[in-house]
Amino acid sequence: MTVTLVSVLFVSAALTALGAFIAAWKRELTAALCGLPVMFAGAGTAFVGVARFGAASGAPLLGQEAAVLLAIAALAAVALGVGLSGREIPR
Amino acid sequence: MDSLHAIGFYVSAALAGAGGILAAFLGGHWRRGLALALTGLGVAGIYASLSAGFAAVVVLICFVAVGALVAKPDYRSVEQAAGAAWRQLGAVGAALLFIGLAYAAFRGQFANATFYGGPFGAVSVGRLLFAHDGVATDAIGGLVLVALVGAALAWRRERPRDERETRR
Repeated sequence: MTVTLVSVLFVSAALTALGAFIAAWKRELTAALCGLPVMFAGAGTAFVGVARFGAASGAPLLGQEAAVLLAIAALAAVALGVGLSGREIPR
Repeated sequence: MDSLHAIGFYVSAALAGAGGILAAFLGGHWRRGLALALTGLGVAGIYASLSAGFAAVVVLICFVAVGALVAKPDYRSVEQAAGAAWRQLGAVGAALLFIGLAYAAFRGQFANATFYGGPFGAVSVGRLLFAHDGVATDAIGGLVLVALVGAALAWRRERPRDERETRR
């Protein structure tokens, strides 16, 4: 049993599509926001996989850096979305 | 990559997928928060088995924070304006996206390189973040600052009178 770039990219594709499905399928806006970090995690998995298996030139850990930044950006986006969805309707 | 790492990778991938599916189909916001935390655990396991320990720690913290945000007690549901047909169309689009990406992954054995990084990589990633790509780090920091300030401003708005009286 081994892990190759193909299997990492396949898992990344599944996570990205799952996040897109959550964002499209949920009726509630706040629940649809849950798809965003899953999609970003799929993209980050692809970055980490390429950094692990396919980065022949350039900085070897550049993909890990991109994955870290994507996770933080996903957290910020969800925080903003949840905050805005809890905002009061002016009366 | 040895068998132990490979088993860890596949188990973590299954965990992440199960967490995502649970987040898609479970009702109740605190259950969705738990499912997101489970997804984060799986993604962190994937990263750790790919020798990206620092990224795994950051992703785990971020997903636990996202799960806590979704599961917080004063959660409000906001209904989308899109109808059922559009949501089903979106779901079909997600399936098509998966087919396209899976085909690209199947054709992805295009590069093979030796990995020289360590199992954790905090020093190397930190050097990249703060020395090599400082502008990108600053941009993400600015984005996080703006998002958190916006979220705090939205949370601090005055609640309606009936809700205030209910909370008393």
